[in-house]
Amino acid sequence: MASTKHLGRREFLRLSAMAAVGAVAASCAKPTPEVIEKPVTVVVEKEVAVEKQVLQTVVVEKQVPVEKVVKETVVVEKAVEVEKVVKETVIVEKEVVSSQLREAPMLAELVAAGKLPPVDERMPLKPKVCNEMPPSQLAFQVGRYGGTIRTLTSSANWDTDIFVMCNEPLINTPGILGEEITGNICDAFQVNAEQTEFTFHMREGIKWSDGTPVTTEDVRFAYEDVMMNTDLTARPPTWLRSGNKGTGTPYVVKVKDDYTFTISFDKPYGGFLLVLGISGWRSYIEVLKPAHYLKKFHTKYASKAEIDAAIKEANVEGWPQLFALKDVTNWEMTYPPALTFPSLYPWILKETSQQGQIYERNPYYFKVDPAGNQLPYVDYLDSAYVADTEVIQMKILAGETDFSRSHPKFVKLPLYKENEEKGGFTTAMVQFHATSIDLFLNLTHVDPVWRQVVRNPDFRRALNLALDREEIIDAVLYGYASLPDFNPAEYNVEKANQLLDSIGLNKKNADGYRLGPDGQVFEIPFETGVQRTDMIPTLELVVQFWEKVGIRTTMKTIDGALWTQRSAANELKATIYWVEALWYNSPVGINLWAPLWDQWWNTGGAEGEEPPQDVKDLLDVRATITTLPPAEGIKAYAEMKKLVADQIYFFVPVEKVLQPLIFSKRLGNVSDSPDAIAIGVNFSAEQFYFKS
Amino acid sequence: MLSYIGRRVAQIIPLLVGLSLIIFIVIQLPPGDYVTMYIQRLEAAGGKVSEYEIANLRRLYNLDRPFYQQYFIWIRNIVLKGDFGRSLQWERPVSELIGERLLLTMVVSICTLIFTYTVSIIIGIYSATHQYTAGDYFFSFLAFIGISVPGFLLALVIMYLVFVNTGVAVTGLFSEQFVRAPWSWPKVVDGLKHIWLPIVVIGLSGTASLTRTMRGLLLDELQQAYVITARAKGVAETKLLFKYPVRLAINPMISTLGWLLPTIVSGESLVAIVLNMPTTGPLLLQSLLAQDMFLAGGFLLMTSTLTVIGTLLSDILLAWLDPRIRFGGVSEH
Repeated sequence: MASTKHLGRREFLRLSAMAAVGAVAASCAKPTPEVIEKPVTVVVEKEVAVEKQVLQTVVVEKQVPVEKVVKETVVVEKAVEVEKVVKETVIVEKEVVSSQLREAPMLAELVAAGKLPPVDERMPLKPKVCNEMPPSQLAFQVGRYGGTIRTLTSSANWDTDIFVMCNEPLINTPGILGEEITGNICDAFQVNAEQTEFTFHMREGIKWSDGTPVTTEDVRFAYEDVMMNTDLTARPPTWLRSGNKGTGTPYVVKVKDDYTFTISFDKPYGGFLLVLGISGWRSYIEVLKPAHYLKKFHTKYASKAEIDAAIKEANVEGWPQLFALKDVTNWEMTYPPALTFPSLYPWILKETSQQGQIYERNPYYFKVDPAGNQLPYVDYLDSAYVADTEVIQMKILAGETDFSRSHPKFVKLPLYKENEEKGGFTTAMVQFHATSIDLFLNLTHVDPVWRQVVRNPDFRRALNLALDREEIIDAVLYGYASLPDFNPAEYNVEKANQLLDSIGLNKKNADGYRLGPDGQVFEIPFETGVQRTDMIPTLELVVQFWEKVGIRTTMKTIDGALWTQRSAANELKATIYWVEALWYNSPVGINLWAPLWDQWWNTGGAEGEEPPQDVKDLLDVRATITTLPPAEGIKAYAEMKKLVADQIYFFVPVEKVLQPLIFSKRLGNVSDSPDAIAIGVNFSAEQFYFKS
Repeated sequence: MLSYIGRRVAQIIPLLVGLSLIIFIVIQLPPGDYVTMYIQRLEAAGGKVSEYEIANLRRLYNLDRPFYQQYFIWIRNIVLKGDFGRSLQWERPVSELIGERLLLTMVVSICTLIFTYTVSIIIGIYSATHQYTAGDYFFSFLAFIGISVPGFLLALVIMYLVFVNTGVAVTGLFSEQFVRAPWSWPKVVDGLKHIWLPIVVIGLSGTASLTRTMRGLLLDELQQAYVITARAKGVAETKLLFKYPVRLAINPMISTLGWLLPTIVSGESLVAIVLNMPTTGPLLLQSLLAQDMFLAGGFLLMTSTLTVIGTLLSDILLAWLDPRIRFGGVSEH
């Protein structure tokens, strides 16, 4: 094992070095002429008093050999003269004006044949210049058109990798880092001083994939006729309620003109932009729906006869079911009804069968590269359905996929490295978007003895001291992980034993197991649904570590669905799962370490049990994260981590876990930076291209 | 005879009603429902499904209704409209999904059947007539391996060997370029190049055990007095063998053919999953895992109905062949 591990790492380093050299070489290439870059990206924060704050200035220097050279920097600075509490954030994005947009050869043919309008008419006035990955993680190269990205899936009508590739939010954050918010479907947005009103401006001239313009009528329809229609929506979702709380008042949408609309809440909701931009893959679909298409299935617009005919044709019960079927959310973009559903995704479902699916480029897609080429570069996505996950591994090794994020498994790393040459693929080690393997002891389980023991922070501190994190990193994760910030990482068995003795767990039975306050052996029974392959080896180690300090620890594997059910019913005493490592999702895993307290919090005290003050403080900090602008949100996240580290509400053995990301050696613009988040790389697929 | 058939058919109806109820209950037994599985899958993908969507899904699939209502809606559509419902995971009619895979499944099953019977009868006859020779030992050895090695393991070993030596993943029934192509002559040829592997792998254990059965039955027959008599009367050895003992020995094997009806439709699941074949077996397994109750229910109802019909057919056949069964049944009445 050790030798393969070393080989893997060395080879990985060599490959990443090669990729870096390639990227540097490529970035030295001359830029294309005809492009005039006119950056007007300015973030202005108008503060109280005279303080001017220019957060970001973009200076562009570009040597354009022929034609005109435009070198322009616009910095907007506004001093506030009057003493007025105005703190408003306006973000206008970088703009690239191109004298000529270019398109893929397959679309040019359709235009020549008169089957498609020319590219200028298909794209918005100001196309979005792709910025999917931050420059620190990818040296962007202007690519070439053509090709098919082959992916693999083991689920019917579902391919995670393609879902992530195709998703489009209203606004985005490069690399899904949450450090900077930029426009996407909207090109400008504004937040008021109280963080209660969010104004969005959509790209003028942006079109649905069937060529119909996108306007605020689509926004109004989604709000008034779907979200506020009680036949269709029992209650609007939590994220569209003030403070991102289930008990919050629902949002209000107001349309200003054809392209401008506001979303407002009755209480501050500063983190709304990131919730809208990336949390939980929202996409645009709950805010923006193709009204021209859906009105045909809505009783307010279609006649009863039309609806009845559609109900009969679709073979459903009634019109709410009909509408639910026809209203294809982003989670359903891989389902057959998506074949005819207008969307804004880079690729659209074209063919679906039991063997797999084909997605074709959207001719109306609104993004360009800096040279003015309409994206995506790649013509088709081809998702092959393979029933067995082991066969998927074999196909990866045989090079039968061009991009795979969701299937590569940590435990198979040596095998991937061994077959890279033969299969023509690269295995990059990039960040996993979660902490991978966290341990949770249920502080609100009904067993009174259990409660008494696990609620003592010293007990949890002792168990934390007994975790040999270095061994987990080496043995389970081949060294591709770091010590955590969420917990103190000290490993000291002696200290752990002392601490356990000091809290009244000093009596042991004949086998050396510590007795609980009731005189029985105290046992930690782990149950896992094995959602990740590294959970079992981790638990095996944890059982050893904790048994070493005299705590009886067992592990049991149960079915994933049963796990979900038992977890929701507060029946698990101890389990292993993960929390997201993305700060803006403010993960603290309380649904696993104290389900009843979580319930109390979510229902505003109506259900569950009231948590103690320290937990309320923690949840207060968590709640602020999603209501703060990025810079402050990141600080609040660090503070939350500190609170967890102090009380050890749950155990985080490792952080910054890397995961293997596999892609064809022919594929360009795929970030393999160790700082890149794998799922963010997956998200940037519209800029992937085939080098040959 | 007619009353015997009528009685048997009348017995089938309550049997099928009971079966459909049991199938529906068993499918619903595991914790959660299709929507739970769906949410679990999306959460693993890094998403959060909004309540809006969950409520919509439950309503769309009638999962918000009590159990007995779900059952009656399901069975009513099957009986009155012949509609097996829509698969939840594929969002397509169940009959269409199964229909697409049925042809290939039947081709593979029937080819396997032919392979199994031909090979096992020939080897069985050879082993019986050459008892305790080197050839008999060799085939017995092979047969015991065939019986004891599970098909999916054999498939994995073959796939591994082919992959290590050629770098090709031998899965599916067609090459990559033909998988989604419409039917054409080159596609059929390509399919024939791939089909031998599943046939041999699936057929192996059946062949092995049938060989042993055939050998045993034939050995019994060969010791019968009529064989010795015929031989004493100077009947040529080959003619003697095929005229009486072989025909008698095959009989019990043929009578079990009726039971094979459902397997022709359901195919061999495990091997098909390992080899990634576009047959019905993997479809059934996936539908059970995803708690796609309409697809799984439709499927199980179909195979169990075929089992019932298969048994009925072999009963009728036996009654027709054997007057003792026919008249015995009637006279007791």
